[in-house]
Amino acid sequence: MAYVAIADRDHEQELHHPKSFVTKYIWSQDHKVIAIQYGITATLIGLVALVLSGMMRLQLGFPDTFSFIAPYDYYQFITMHGMIMVIYLLTALFLGGFGNYLIPLMLGARDMVFPYLNMLSFWVYLLAVLVLVASFFVPGGPTGAGWTLYPPQAILPGTPGAGWGIVFMLASLAIFIVAFTMGGLNYVVTVLQARTRGMTLMRMPLSIWGIFMATVLGLLAFPALFVSAVMMTLDKLLGTSFFMPAIMSMGQQLDYDGGSPVLFQHLFWFFGHPEVYIVALPAFGIVSDLLATHARKNIFGYRMMVWAILAIGGISFVVWAHHMYVSGMNPYFGFFFATTTLIIAVPTAIKVYNWVLTLWKGNIHLTVPMLFAIGFIFTFVHGGLTGLFLGNVSVDVPLSDTYFVVGHFHMVMGVSPIMVMFGAIYHWYPKITGRMLNTTLGRIHFWGTFLGTYAIYLPMHYLGFLGVPRRYYALGNTDFIPESAMTLNAGITISALIVGVIQLVFLYNIISSLFKGEKAGPNPWRAVTLEWQTPDTPPKHGNWGPELPVVYRWAYDYSVPGAAEDFIPQNHPDDETTGMVHKT
Amino acid sequence: MANDVLTNTGESATVSPGLRGIVSDWSSDKQAFEVPWGKAMMWIFLLSDTFIFGVFLSSYMTVRMSTVEPWPIPSEVFALTIGGQSIPLILIAIMTFVLISSSGTMAMAVNFGYRRDRAKTAALMLATAALGAAFVSMQAFEWTKLIHEGVRPWGNPWGAPQFGSTFFMITGFHGLHVSVGVIYLSIVATKVWRGDYERKGNYQIVEITGLYWHFVDLVWVFIFALFYLW
Amino acid sequence: MALAVALVLLVVGSVLFHFLSPWWFTPIASNWGTIDDTVILTFWVTGAVFIAVNLFMAYCVIRYRHKKGQLAHYEPENKKLEWWLTGLTTLGVVAMLAPGLFVWAKFINVPEDASVFEAVGQQWNWSYRFPGKDGVLGTVDPANITIDNPFGMNPDDPNGQDDILVSSPEVHLPLNKPVKVLLRATDVLHNFAVAQFRVKMDMVPGLVTYFWFTPTRTGTFEVLCEELCGLGHHTMRGNVVIDEEEDFQAWLNSNPTYAETQAQTGGDAEAGAALYAVCLACHGTEGEGNIALNSPKISGQDDWYLIRQLKYFKGGIRGSDEDDVFGRQMAPMAAILPDDAAIKNVVAYIETLADNPASATIDGDAARGRDIFSTCGACHGLDGQGIWSLKAPRLAGMTDWYMVTQLKNFKHGIRGTHAGDMYGGQMGAMARILTDDQAINDVIAYINTLDETVARN
Ligand code: HEA
Ligand code: HEA
Ligand code: CUA
Ligand SMILES: [Cu+2]
Repeated sequence: MAYVAIADRDHEQELHHPKSFVTKYIWSQDHKVIAIQYGITATLIGLVALVLSGMMRLQLGFPDTFSFIAPYDYYQFITMHGMIMVIYLLTALFLGGFGNYLIPLMLGARDMVFPYLNMLSFWVYLLAVLVLVASFFVPGGPTGAGWTLYPPQAILPGTPGAGWGIVFMLASLAIFIVAFTMGGLNYVVTVLQARTRGMTLMRMPLSIWGIFMATVLGLLAFPALFVSAVMMTLDKLLGTSFFMPAIMSMGQQLDYDGGSPVLFQHLFWFFGHPEVYIVALPAFGIVSDLLATHARKNIFGYRMMVWAILAIGGISFVVWAHHMYVSGMNPYFGFFFATTTLIIAVPTAIKVYNWVLTLWKGNIHLTVPMLFAIGFIFTFVHGGLTGLFLGNVSVDVPLSDTYFVVGHFHMVMGVSPIMVMFGAIYHWYPKITGRMLNTTLGRIHFWGTFLGTYAIYLPMHYLGFLGVPRRYYALGNTDFIPESAMTLNAGITISALIVGVIQLVFLYNIISSLFKGEKAGPNPWRAVTLEWQTPDTPPKHGNWGPELPVVYRWAYDYSVPGAAEDFIPQNHPDDETTGMVHKT
Repeated sequence: MANDVLTNTGESATVSPGLRGIVSDWSSDKQAFEVPWGKAMMWIFLLSDTFIFGVFLSSYMTVRMSTVEPWPIPSEVFALTIGGQSIPLILIAIMTFVLISSSGTMAMAVNFGYRRDRAKTAALMLATAALGAAFVSMQAFEWTKLIHEGVRPWGNPWGAPQFGSTFFMITGFHGLHVSVGVIYLSIVATKVWRGDYERKGNYQIVEITGLYWHFVDLVWVFIFALFYLW
Repeated sequence: MALAVALVLLVVGSVLFHFLSPWWFTPIASNWGTIDDTVILTFWVTGAVFIAVNLFMAYCVIRYRHKKGQLAHYEPENKKLEWWLTGLTTLGVVAMLAPGLFVWAKFINVPEDASVFEAVGQQWNWSYRFPGKDGVLGTVDPANITIDNPFGMNPDDPNGQDDILVSSPEVHLPLNKPVKVLLRATDVLHNFAVAQFRVKMDMVPGLVTYFWFTPTRTGTFEVLCEELCGLGHHTMRGNVVIDEEEDFQAWLNSNPTYAETQAQTGGDAEAGAALYAVCLACHGTEGEGNIALNSPKISGQDDWYLIRQLKYFKGGIRGSDEDDVFGRQMAPMAAILPDDAAIKNVVAYIETLADNPASATIDGDAARGRDIFSTCGACHGLDGQGIWSLKAPRLAGMTDWYMVTQLKNFKHGIRGTHAGDMYGGQMGAMARILTDDQAINDVIAYINTLDETVARN
């Protein structure tokens, strides 16, 4: 078998050479600039979702107080909050942002394989965001059908935004999927085909593995959302009956007949469950690198970690109906899906153990990224374990559609990947900008966010046990729920507002450090992976100067016995101090 | 049976047969696939597209089962009256034949592309495009006929409204793929003709176009089987 | 260091919170104690993992915190340890899953002797149907649904004639008898959930879903809708009352069969005219209302609504609250009507009266009111003409000062809180979105702008 040297393909790259400011920073084809564009857009729209969550909490904590939040608004808020957070913030930020930035740098490539397509990906994403934002201004406002957009209600009167709002939402999603596909194809091909010499798959940093697998999941899962968006649009605009059975609405029979609302749920969750791992896997990957770097220790059980990522990705396609235990689907499916769902806990558990074992016998530097990484482990374990309640079909029955579910998914998705996102920003900011973020502010941000979010979400599980349903504008008088639940709700709201305000510290830190931050140098964390070995910081267009780096070792040679320093960069050729040369 | 190979960094890696072999092959120091980037990207795109059509078709099967009204009988609906005689599925047979032939001409174009035969490659690609265009026109004809007979996305004279909706949606989406393919083929053929790829020194793009085209054909086979024969 | 302490405190705090806080499952009232048991079991397994993993992490943070000259241990992997951990985890998973699946098998297999009834969900209320003497539910079709046949019963199906129709969100069930609940929806998805029974299942239009349980305790248990079904989702409430057998039978027999509901005739307007003489004094000859006497306009109001309210006034469900000053005047008047036939007759007469729009007396910011009304319109119709299937009366063209009074009454729990007021509770919850008097005036001002001449349907 002939091995074609990857680096020898350097010529295949048609690098675009920017000349003016516009081609350099706006219509840029440089993956780093595109990454930042993605990052800023995602953060801005994410802030909208954060503000919406604050408004929701005001209503829930202090009902009958705010005249600007009627049920009409509330249901729009939760829908937009959920949708923006999951798709437009986290998916875009982890893949479009970190994926774009890290893949070429960590793999020793000059850029993505098709920079032009990559650029288009961002602009189409921006269009998707704009269509989403536009839906706030159409008559009737954005859709209020819940982020799951279940028909029939999503397109019928009685649900906010059932006119224009839902159409804009579906259009925006379809556009997003086009954008994602353009970016995603790039990420996958870059990982598979454009690694530098010596960068075997089993030497890739776990960040790349996580992002890679998440992208593959996206390419295979988004089609289901795309198709269901098309079908729902047709139901809405042309009066087809894909998801619409014969029904009566507002006292009048409608012209629909014979469609299947449960079909939509199957399609949505066939997308939706992989989607939650699309959000989680990059976080898993990135946190592994943060832990290894800041504990100065190799990641424990690298091979198992890779296999676990692959296994989680694979299994995530056969668990979707755990969101539908009480949806009226054939109840016998429950046995199958409960089993697959709990099986997914095993590879995930391996990852958790290996993170913790990476700390064990390490040399832990409690830097800000490390704080966030440990915060991630804590919140993820909590959220994952509550997932096991929901996955076990009979246990799900009393808990489904209550605040227990809300607690679960915020812990596992609304906090833990967010922790990683913050950790990653503190970690790579020096590479991106050449300056360090302020540590004191970083610590305040960490403690506020970590303790604050736990105070938000832990109590939510207990509201769920009480039987408080989710997606309730107000609880009203409900006999079996004690008054004290309202006190709890008020407490949750106060924590949420505090956490929201603390994010301002972070925003301030990001902006002020751009100008006043301490100069970073090329490798402030003394990390081994390639992105820290670039000739320039921040890296220039083309990343590597005249020669591509050559990789001689895996991505975790920290504290190798006998080595001069406690880290050996991946492109360091000295054979005598080679730790585990990763064969195969 | 294990054989040693040298990786780029000069380490020796062992390639053994079986599952382990696959793993070590994949994780060795090389591209995952021995193909140009563009081709790899087309493969992955087609994989994603397969999921799109897969979801379309499985949704079709689901609504066909969930609907409460009888499904129109395909052999009657898709019959064509020629010379006073109703021949079932005749149009679709021709359409399928045309599309399959176009796969043939495409394969030949790719073959000539390997041999760097500029003229023949371009000509065969144009032939493929022409067959594709013929397919789309026949489809347009069929749509017109059905619409005249009263088939609409939201209903039809013979039964389940889902018949029209799935039919128009899925054949429409496929027809869109064919149309895009025709445009794509025409552009590439023109460039081949002009000799753009002669200068670059490779005809990969012809092969990539071919991949797409064969995929679109393959999808048609499934649509054909599920819509017209079921 | 602070981090390790925080981790330990969070673990300890979570455990204490779990055991000490008052927030936990409501006491169970069905046979599904096994579900609670699996929850508890899951708690023990996952709780142990939670504590172990996090305390170990806290230990690592303390023990392996960077000190000068310290070097991390170099150990890429440890196969043995990894397999052990994998094995133990698998064991934990099996320990939770196996009992869970057994319970599920029980949950979906309905015992032979279970009786059957049907719960119907529609925006945003519940109704129920029992199979009647023949024990078989008749077929239904959403195409049959009309105001006189809200269940969409198939008129030609002999099985359906004796079906008992409960047009109220409250249902009664006998104690200690297993019961299979068939679930159906007529418009959008809903979910029938009773916390004390630990059961819930979606209602899907076009499908019939089910669950079963055995009530083990008498009492009234609240039904909540737990699938987002639009604006009124959180107000979609009902009751399940668990009775002793005799009480249950008595209740069941008090509800009409389908055949009975169809046999009922409309009211007799001529007979109603005589009865109306009493009403006339306050509501006026044309039912136009009289602000001086605090009597609202009743002409042009939907007949089903007037009938329901007259019954409520007569039955002490409305107009019995201490603070409902004007309602207390109406209650004795309604009591004069001897029976349901009289109520129907007088309403039939009211329907013949001229429907002239009431004049506006309230000032407010109609533009602001319009925003608020986007919520109200979901039930009352965006034209304010009322929608029978949502049980929501007409507002447009009715007396505005009366609506102001009643909005305040609803908001302050003077109306809509009586246990028998099945639909008022919904309005009570909604009225609370009007945070101040200004908001009330605004929304009424907007209602006044709605075109009164819109054709009634
Ligand atoms: C990042 C996102 C994310 C992740 C990673 C997960 C992970 C998991 N989720 Fe979650 N989930 C969501 C996001 C996520 N989820 C969202 C958004 C929803 C709601 C959607 C909506 O309705 O709006 C949801 C809802 C949801 C439901 C539906 C509930 C309902 O609606 O009734 C279920 C049910 O099975 C479930 C299960 C699980 C399970 C079993 C995991 C597992 O992968 C967890 C595995 C992890 C662990 C188990 C912890 C680590 C393990 C150990 C430390 C050792 C374990 C030891 C033993 C097992 C002994 N989730
Ligand atoms: C990643 C996903 C994510 C995140 C981060 C959040 C964050 C928050 N969520 Fe969200 N939520 C969802 C996903 C998420 N949520 C989803 C999918 C639903 C379901 C919707 C539905 O039912 O349809 C939901 C629903 C939901 C509900 C239930 C509503 C209901 O059922 O009636 C509530 C109630 O309290 C809530 C509260 C909050 C709060 C207080 C926050 C936060 O404010 C908590 C604090 C978090 C942070 C501080 C981090 C936020 C960071 C950013 C947003 C990035 C911004 C960038 C910078 C600051 C640089 N959310
Ligand atoms: Cu009905 Cu929610
Ligand atoms: Cu899931």
